[in-house]
Amino acid sequence: MTSDQGGAMAELAVRMEGIVKRLPGVVANDGIDFALERGEIHGLLGENGAGKTVLMSVLYGLYHPDAGTIAVRGRKQSMTSPSKAIRLGIGMVHQHFMLVPRLTVTENIMLGSEPMKGGLFLDERAARRAITELAEQYGLPVEPKARVEQLSVGHQQRVEIIKALYRGAETLILDEPTAVLTEQEVEHLSAALRKLRGEEKSTVFITHKLSEALALCDRITVLRKGKVVGTVRAKETSERELAEMMVGREVVFTVRRREATSGQETALRVEDVEADDDRALPALKGISFELRKQEILGIAGVEGNGQAELAEVLTGLRPAKSGRILLGGVDLSGKKAHDYIARGIAHIPADRQRRGLVLSFTLKENAVLGQHRNPRFSVGPFWQKQRAIGVYTQEIMDAYNVKAPSPSALAQNLSGGNQQRLIIGREFSKSPQVIVASQPTRGLDVGGIEYVREQLLNMRDKGAAVLLISMDLDEILMLSDRIAVIYDGRIVAIKDPEETDRQELGELMLRGAGEMAGRAG
Amino acid sequence: MDIFTVALLLSTLRLATPVALIALGETFSERAGIINVGVEGTATLGALVVALISFYTRSPWLALFAALVAGGLAGALHALWCIRWRANHVVSGIGINILVGGLAMFITGAVWGWRGTSPSAPTLNPWIIVIAGFVIICVAQVYLFRTRWGLRLRVVGEKPEAADTAGVNVHLTQYFYTILNGVLCGLAGAFFFNNLGRFTFGMVGGRGFIGIAAMVIGNYSPLGGLGAALLFGFVDALQMRLQAHIPNQFSIMLPYLLTVVVLAAFIRRANVPAALGRHYVKQ
Amino acid sequence: MRQRLRGWLGTALVRETGLTLLAVALAFAVGTLIIWAAGFSISAVFTNLWRGAFGNRISLGQTLTQATPIIFTSLSFLIAFRCGLFNIGAEGQLYVGAMAAAVVGTVLRVPAWLGVPLCLAAGGLAGAFWGWIPGLLKARRGVNEFVTTMMLSYVAIELTNFLVAPRGPLHDRTAWSNQTVRIATTAMLPRIMRPTQVSMALVIAGIAAIVVWYFLFRTPSGYELRSVGQSPAAAEYGGIRTPRKIVLALTLAGFLAGLGGAGEVLGTHYRFIAGFSPGYGWDGIAGGLIARAHPVAAVFAGLLMGALRAGGMQVQRARAAPGDIATVLQGLVIFFIIAPMLIRRLLIWKRRRN
Repeated sequence: MTSDQGGAMAELAVRMEGIVKRLPGVVANDGIDFALERGEIHGLLGENGAGKTVLMSVLYGLYHPDAGTIAVRGRKQSMTSPSKAIRLGIGMVHQHFMLVPRLTVTENIMLGSEPMKGGLFLDERAARRAITELAEQYGLPVEPKARVEQLSVGHQQRVEIIKALYRGAETLILDEPTAVLTEQEVEHLSAALRKLRGEEKSTVFITHKLSEALALCDRITVLRKGKVVGTVRAKETSERELAEMMVGREVVFTVRRREATSGQETALRVEDVEADDDRALPALKGISFELRKQEILGIAGVEGNGQAELAEVLTGLRPAKSGRILLGGVDLSGKKAHDYIARGIAHIPADRQRRGLVLSFTLKENAVLGQHRNPRFSVGPFWQKQRAIGVYTQEIMDAYNVKAPSPSALAQNLSGGNQQRLIIGREFSKSPQVIVASQPTRGLDVGGIEYVREQLLNMRDKGAAVLLISMDLDEILMLSDRIAVIYDGRIVAIKDPEETDRQELGELMLRGAGEMAGRAG
Repeated sequence: MDIFTVALLLSTLRLATPVALIALGETFSERAGIINVGVEGTATLGALVVALISFYTRSPWLALFAALVAGGLAGALHALWCIRWRANHVVSGIGINILVGGLAMFITGAVWGWRGTSPSAPTLNPWIIVIAGFVIICVAQVYLFRTRWGLRLRVVGEKPEAADTAGVNVHLTQYFYTILNGVLCGLAGAFFFNNLGRFTFGMVGGRGFIGIAAMVIGNYSPLGGLGAALLFGFVDALQMRLQAHIPNQFSIMLPYLLTVVVLAAFIRRANVPAALGRHYVKQ
Repeated sequence: MRQRLRGWLGTALVRETGLTLLAVALAFAVGTLIIWAAGFSISAVFTNLWRGAFGNRISLGQTLTQATPIIFTSLSFLIAFRCGLFNIGAEGQLYVGAMAAAVVGTVLRVPAWLGVPLCLAAGGLAGAFWGWIPGLLKARRGVNEFVTTMMLSYVAIELTNFLVAPRGPLHDRTAWSNQTVRIATTAMLPRIMRPTQVSMALVIAGIAAIVVWYFLFRTPSGYELRSVGQSPAAAEYGGIRTPRKIVLALTLAGFLAGLGGAGEVLGTHYRFIAGFSPGYGWDGIAGGLIARAHPVAAVFAGLLMGALRAGGMQVQRARAAPGDIATVLQGLVIFFIIAPMLIRRLLIWKRRRN
């Protein structure tokens, strides 16, 4: 029906037709058509698992499609590898940055198209000059000589974008670029994208946030379960319409369920805690706060401001250099994970596959992780109560709806949602006094997210004190009874969610309290 | 003492060479993310092949070339197993050590009728390999940190995904440097033969493992590895002179004990490639 | 009944066993090729291999005698492997264990019911000490245990060598070879299959395998050790003190290898002889891998290794080929064992051709 040399096609930066991509257990892209015009910002909207990233990975040559064709600037191409995509002027900024922490910004950017001198040696000076020019042209300041591991997340993202531009990208794919940014950083990013549009460069903007898609994009394509629901102009649609397209039914925006019954009794008191990160640089610089019984305290902040270290310090996984951690009047600083568990601190770790589970162990073995020395499951170091463990595992599976063939199944064979349910079941079954929940809903589908949030509220209502660490500001606003903002290893403010808004929180997250007017990120 | 002489210095340089070559080879493959503890066996294989070919062709140069090829093949076997079949790197390396150990005994027995030794055969002046080794190591230092191929190699071992999305073929890179590691081990093996004039089982005597230790102590840089290797070469040269003064079991023990002590004292974990030992699966 | 049978056939145990046997078969196939290429008679080699390993009571005894220390070193390797560690130094731990047992066995004058356990304990503890050092270095300073166990193995061999060398303090002055004097009869383990050298040490090896299995899979302590091996981060999260487990695993590994050395002295040689091990430590690595780190399977893997050694000796005696073909086969088995993906691929390929 369509011819390869159609006049209209020449106008398109990219045209994808009938893309099919099967991944183990799922058809991630099921006959997708997608057209990207030159000089537009095109939103690709959909829930987790809708197939957005897979579609763009196909375009970038990371996945080979099972069916379908791709045309770049009117020419049919088979995207065999990222280097082919790069040659055709397509650049991609992944959600998890493709940067080598130990190398410098310049080394990272020039990788793959390094300037040479004398035909043999790297010409770093030439690369630095080119980088500085690009940075100025698009308003994306970067520090060419710095090592990437020393940079903030926002800075790293700018490096990624410049990396794509350095390689001559005409089409830029950004995968969930705002997930790690504050409102203010998002502003800077969109300014840069508009500059790119001014130069006839096209951008694909992958997101699941309606408001951002509407604010930033010219056109929006909505995906659902691997299929295109439709493409609309941003000016001619509304959040409600987009939400309906995304989810497939009319959406009642989730109401915040909170009875504000928060008690006054302190469950956990953190006093002036300092700790280093993995590179032995200070990450927590004197953190103090109080967590009360029967409340959810949300920790809001830009990724990399000490959240990960905070969660680890509060669960004994990372030593505190100074300060006190008081649980029911007992100072736990200097103690190990084992003592924290014994004192009733439960932990939903951010990295559930690495920290939360031993993937090659059975559900039974995972169900007692952390309690394996509990008299309920063992007698001394040389006797394990197999039957009690089996029964307990089955109880968790029933109560928390963990779908698995049997308690003897391996954890690695469970879906992400079921793995998370197993962890939550295990941690909540200990009837903990304090729960440290780190990014508990990341990577889950809508059903999973609602389930986890429900459970957190349940535990709060039963009297537990919950510390919710999340990069998702909406989640924090939805669930928290109080919100603490973390910036540069310190709590800079504690706010009542009724009396604050995204704008104010974003401001605090970006610059801290005292430095509001100070240096720029 | 009269044992500290120019001769001691010279034998330090000589004995350091195989360790430094193995350290360099391991630096290459580990920078690409592939651990190879089979270097001990690969060097043994190199020594055996050089003896075989030199014995039959009477051409030590041809024999040297054959040792490099044999080392490369052992590296290729390891690479195939680690990359294609996703075997545990360490275990595959152990497999090479055991297999080559068996083959060395079997082949010497089958060919010469003596378990584990060869008759003497024409040799090169070992100083050729010593000098070549020092040149190779200096070139490698520049290559690793000042050329685009060096940069790409470093990225493959640190973050293969980043290399892949930048258009660098991760698996090809890993194959290349693992084979190169084998070739360098083959060269080290050729040194052992040319130094002694014959093959004997156990002539490598843990120098492969010491090479790995030298790489760790040298913090994954070619010159660093050379520095550590010189230290071992010195102790090795010293122990040979000490044999007249103390029970020789103790002097033989010295380099091994030194390795443990130095590893325990100077351990720096700064430059361990982040993706070392991982199986990179392209999507 | 039928369904139960089918269920059993589908279990991981059966699948693993099947893959292992297939790997062994493939290794023998490649080994055959090598024998053929080297110009030896394939039938002569395999007949003698079989005859040497299982041909009669004497050769069976030889197989079992050789299997005994290999079972111990296999257990030694796999217990460390289960904790994510490589104990490459079982050979050295075997030697120090043997030496300790020999010293205690020659010095002590106590009844057998006490003497034998004491000697075994001495051997185990000496091996444990030799494993504890790399364990401590790994736990405290992150020193690669692969290199240190190997290096300390050389040290152990030279050290024990020195003790029995002509100028050494434990040298038996009446003998030409480097060895200690004979241990007291009350320290000897009974022979169980005369006239061969098979001793109670074999039974102890079997018991050790079951104990190791129980420890790894039925005790909280073994659970912790395996957690560290499978996922150090998750183990830490579960309140497990990883450094302690590392020390424990390598100490136990040393203990098992040391026990094996004691068994050799008390049951087979009745004295410490320099160089008594033809490489049992290395065989243990192969054994542990072939057993896929399962303690009970290690008994069978040890028997296979022992049979290869005994058979190899017969191949050598009969001049069918150098006996080291056995070690070549052993190396080949490792290569096929560690690449289950390769075997699966070969199976798929075969199915497709059919």
